[in-house]
Amino acid sequence: MSTTPTVMNQSKRSPQSPVQAESTVTLDPPLMDAQTAIAIDSFNAYYGDFQALHDLHLDIPEQQVTAFIGPSGCGKSTLLKWCNRMNDIVPIAYATGTLKVGETNVLERGTDVVDLRRKVGMVFQKANPFPKSIFDNVAYGARLHYKISRPELFDLVELSLKKAALWDEVKDRLKQSALGLSGGQQQRLCIARAIATGPKILLMDEPCSALDPASTSRIEDLIFELRRQFTIVIVTHNMQQAARCSDRTAFFYEGKIIEEGATEDVFTRPKQRQTEDYVTGKFG
Amino acid sequence: MTDPLNQQLEHRSDGQRKMFSSSFSVICLLVSSLAIVVLATLLFSIFVTGGTWLNLEFLTASHRENNPEESGIGQAIVGSLVICSICGLVALPIGVGTAIFLEEFQPRRRILRMFHGLIQLNINNLAGVPSIVYGILGLTAFVYMFGAFHSIRINGQPDYEIGATYSYQVKTLGGQYVKFPARAKLQPTIEIQDSRTVTDSSGKRFKLNVFSPIDEESTLAKTRSKSVIRGTQAQLINREGADLYEAATIDGRSFTFPAKPTYSQFAKILEPITVTGPDGKSFELNVLSKSEAIPTDELVKARSVFADSPDPNKRSSASIFRENSFFHMHLPFSKSVLSAGLTLALVILPIVIIASQEAIRGVPQTLREAAFGMGATRWQVVRGAVLPSATPGIMTGAILAMSRAIGEAAPLLAVMGGVLGTTNHLSSLMDRTPVLPVTIFKWAGDENQGFEHLAAAAIIVLLAFLLMMNSVAILIRHRYEKKLA
Repeated sequence: MSTTPTVMNQSKRSPQSPVQAESTVTLDPPLMDAQTAIAIDSFNAYYGDFQALHDLHLDIPEQQVTAFIGPSGCGKSTLLKWCNRMNDIVPIAYATGTLKVGETNVLERGTDVVDLRRKVGMVFQKANPFPKSIFDNVAYGARLHYKISRPELFDLVELSLKKAALWDEVKDRLKQSALGLSGGQQQRLCIARAIATGPKILLMDEPCSALDPASTSRIEDLIFELRRQFTIVIVTHNMQQAARCSDRTAFFYEGKIIEEGATEDVFTRPKQRQTEDYVTGKFG
Repeated sequence: MTDPLNQQLEHRSDGQRKMFSSSFSVICLLVSSLAIVVLATLLFSIFVTGGTWLNLEFLTASHRENNPEESGIGQAIVGSLVICSICGLVALPIGVGTAIFLEEFQPRRRILRMFHGLIQLNINNLAGVPSIVYGILGLTAFVYMFGAFHSIRINGQPDYEIGATYSYQVKTLGGQYVKFPARAKLQPTIEIQDSRTVTDSSGKRFKLNVFSPIDEESTLAKTRSKSVIRGTQAQLINREGADLYEAATIDGRSFTFPAKPTYSQFAKILEPITVTGPDGKSFELNVLSKSEAIPTDELVKARSVFADSPDPNKRSSASIFRENSFFHMHLPFSKSVLSAGLTLALVILPIVIIASQEAIRGVPQTLREAAFGMGATRWQVVRGAVLPSATPGIMTGAILAMSRAIGEAAPLLAVMGGVLGTTNHLSSLMDRTPVLPVTIFKWAGDENQGFEHLAAAAIIVLLAFLLMMNSVAILIRHRYEKKLA
């Protein structure tokens, strides 16, 4: 792997892009004191007797992209899944401490997970569209949560697909099976599907790890475009990706957060030795 | 120390190794062709024995005693299909529901998880229970319902029933039968026809034995105090505000049981009433006094009866007549199509559950995650993501289970008896009917050699049914695989 400065060079985008022009303005200090979207405090997560995460403290700011990086098995996906309680599917998983989304501690027993997951959408490692039409896939979440008329649903599907930069490619074949799309298109469809329920936060669990470089780049562009509309948390193994599309980065190692800060600082001026070793490719 | 890698090792004989390999494949081929040869022989002998008997008449006619030439399996085919449908309609929802519960609703609490495991263990064990055991279970659970409902028939009518219409039928002087609706009321006397629980004068309850007069001498000696002869009259009495029937056992011990309104066997016609003719039209029945002469006009004659009279030649008592709708049902279900269908449902239930579980387990976890991630409730996940993907697998399993049900003879022998032919066509759930496997079983053992050919022909039909169902199952699976690819 190349040295850190090169990583940062790769993150510069073509100057023609209006998104880029906007983001260069907004990337800087004013955003750094943004509101907190997810507040994690004294958080411990367990799978049965195994403790996956140890005493985490982390504030994830609103309307920014936060990247979780770290070697496999360091617990970054576990934390992500606790943010919308997807770990409920695992019978032996439990967690202690506080994990606040807005004002509610989602770890509390009485949390309405259905409503939580509507507000906190999730995009998975492997694109997982339903074996239904493209339209029905995007409409799925809206139909779950809302009483919605047919024309409104059409508008919602169109808007969601446009936000996910997929509309132009699929507008003529909305009735066709989503399984006929390419891998990258399927992943953007999943993003559109997550957007369609109107979430505030989008969790992405290695969204590009199963995609080719061209599709990866499209998804990254998309994350860049969505960054001011949603709070995005992305787990990635790809450090260039974290450097390219995130505002803040948290480095996980063996169930602990070693370092957290603005992406530029973490990659160019890491405070911890382990972070530096990891981002420069000495291990992991 | 010697290094095994650098040692000169003696080679195993190459020729011997290859010979073993090739002779093993020959043995495998022989063994597997043995199975095919046996099957082919079986089919061949069946076709030789029964092939020529297979014709349209055979497929539609019903069983005739001692007359193989005119016997057929029409009723048996209908019976098998009806029982299989009942079985499927009952087993499918319960089986799929159980599978969903076991796969998708796994609890987090340890005790509930143990309960879950217990159910799973039971289902796995039940799948291996011989079907005759289910037959006995069906006999107690459905045919007799553990004796919870006394099977007494007062005047031939069961205590708890729906779907039956009672009317009185009377023959007019013109010879047509006309009918009018019957009204249930407390009969002053009834005849005891079936066993039931009764109470004696000291308040002690006991089960009454009902015997035919011919059994009396030999069997009643020990149980005289608990027995009556079939047809014994019971009188309506009112004790402390309750309507009861009272009668006495053979040794004179009096007992009572609660009275409920029933239809009397006969009705007296004393004044003009509205009746329905054979053509379905209603008209006023003309009631002649016993002194009147028979009218000469045919139309008047067709609409007239004599008022009830002691003169047997002029008597026109109307007798009770029951019409069953197809859903006619009474408790207990007794030996009926419904009992048989429910029993077969028990037989295939574990198979349906296990097949459905496999199908549900085959649904990729990513689909569930996707639905949960969107904020779907557990049921929405099952309904919207799991079931659509699992349905082909569930259908395949269900059809294969049904093909087992259609070939079962033992449980049906237990719950319906060896019915070969009935005079009436199958018209309600409470009827009995011949079915294919039982018919084959009875025919194959019949003293009349001709029936052996018929049994073979019936086996061909049964095999055709099985083949058909299995091909449908394969077809569904095939289409499903194509859709996924």
